[in-house]
Amino acid sequence: MSQTLGQRTASWLNAVGRSVWRIGWPVTDKDRAAVMISSIFLHIHPARVSRHVLRPSATLALGLISGILFVVLSVTGLALMLYYVPYPPEAYRSMKDLQFVVTFGVVLRNMHRWSAHAMVVVVFLHMCRVFWTGSYKAPREFNWVVGVMLLLLTLALSFTGYLLPWDQLAYWAITVGTNIAAYAPLVGDRLKFLMLGGHVIGPMTLLRFYVLHCVMLPLLMLILVSLHVWRVRKDGLSGAEVHRAPAEPAEEAAGLFPASTKTHGLMALSRRPRASVEARDPNDEVFAWPHLLFRELLVALAVVVVLHVVSLVFMAPLEEMADPTRTPNPAKAPWYFLGLQELVHYSALVGGVVVPTLIVAALVSLPYFDRRRAGIGRWFAPERRIANTIFTVLVIISVGLTIIGTLFRGPNWAWVWPWN
Amino acid sequence: MTEDRIDLKRRRIFAVGCFGTGAATAGFLAATFRFLVPNVLYEPSRRFDIGSPAEFPYGSVTFLPDRRLYVFNSADGFYAVSSECPHLGCNVRHAASGFECPCHGSRFDENGGVVQGPAPRPLAWYAVSLSPRQQLIVDLDQTVGPEFRLRV
Repeated sequence: MSQTLGQRTASWLNAVGRSVWRIGWPVTDKDRAAVMISSIFLHIHPARVSRHVLRPSATLALGLISGILFVVLSVTGLALMLYYVPYPPEAYRSMKDLQFVVTFGVVLRNMHRWSAHAMVVVVFLHMCRVFWTGSYKAPREFNWVVGVMLLLLTLALSFTGYLLPWDQLAYWAITVGTNIAAYAPLVGDRLKFLMLGGHVIGPMTLLRFYVLHCVMLPLLMLILVSLHVWRVRKDGLSGAEVHRAPAEPAEEAAGLFPASTKTHGLMALSRRPRASVEARDPNDEVFAWPHLLFRELLVALAVVVVLHVVSLVFMAPLEEMADPTRTPNPAKAPWYFLGLQELVHYSALVGGVVVPTLIVAALVSLPYFDRRRAGIGRWFAPERRIANTIFTVLVIISVGLTIIGTLFRGPNWAWVWPWN
Repeated sequence: MTEDRIDLKRRRIFAVGCFGTGAATAGFLAATFRFLVPNVLYEPSRRFDIGSPAEFPYGSVTFLPDRRLYVFNSADGFYAVSSECPHLGCNVRHAASGFECPCHGSRFDENGGVVQGPAPRPLAWYAVSLSPRQQLIVDLDQTVGPEFRLRV
């Protein structure tokens, strides 16, 4: 009864806070570990993390940035859904409303558009980073495969979103895109019919693309991203094991480097992971709170700031309403498919079917054929010179074709110089 | 002995249950897939009336943008050629020597045969017929060869 009212209120508030957060603001190392372990949201991080992978050059934070962009796209997308009507021609009118009538509508639309483009770029760069650091090797082979699926999903999400504004750009890009899909042998025409929900792009197509874009593909994405991140967490952040001093088995047995402190490990329910989450050099590690968390927040802040600046300065394109009778010249697919369209310009079967199939097959099977252990976790390791050279050449070719298709192709798909 | 019988029965029920659940799931997936294929298309009819023969003067080429169709009235009769490029679906333009696609530079001759460019097949020709009310009818589901003519 010696407490004042103020003290009692503070203690009551503290109890309420503890019921929500369990661990307060962490002060001790024990709390820094506990705060990560006890929260469902923070538990995506390990309690401690190798300081080597915290350096920006280790991963360039590309996976993190992709994740942040996905969150930004979900939030802005949900907001846009409140005004968007997925039925022509109201679809186009609602875009005009967002552009000119709804307060901040144009900023949200710009952010959604530019984030979507950025996500395609960042996911692609993330894949390049993983290849160039050899991070797809065991035990991460399957996570690479999941990553390839996520890249395809990113493209599918972007492509389905492309039709929604129902302007000329959208209509003809989807015309070209779905006709590329129709070149698939045997099932091509049926596939196109299924995608369009008919013979021509119409209300049915818009509704299908809308549902895919807003519900089905994001859900699938969420599931696969969870799997992807879960496995990163289980296999350890790539690159950490390179810097680990090789632990002597004798020392480990003697308990100098405890093999595992995890319950399931102690119970011998699980094997110790190969790229170990445990058995690390404790001197090389820092607590994820605050070191990792702070960097993540910093990256998120930077991404959001850049997106805002870009969205305030650059307008997302919106052309005239879709007109099936008038083909713009040239009619181009979305930019990330222009490399394919450039190939399709030479041969539809090769560019539309053979090359994409080969690329996906090669990417998926890559970690199961390239099984050498040398040079894992380092950028451009000399031991991986051949693999890196082949991959880099392919990257240059695909980027080059995309640039040619985007900037150097004018009316009638004839060569033009972009500065003319 | 009794124990054996019970066990066997339990295993059997389990097997039947698994099979049944599997079959139901497969059936459900097949039904869902079929569900995705529309039975009714709320799009312009694939067989339509383009007007009376008199609206197409002798020797003329008429572009019907809504139908994506070129209608010819030649010396031998009427015929209709699709304006949809078989490459990637852009509208081809009628030019002096045939057709040109603006998208990827495919060129076609007067009969729609590929002369140049990435188009994998000729432009489609559609059957033209005369209705009892003396109107020209085009059927997009009935393709014909370039020898087709409709005498009126």
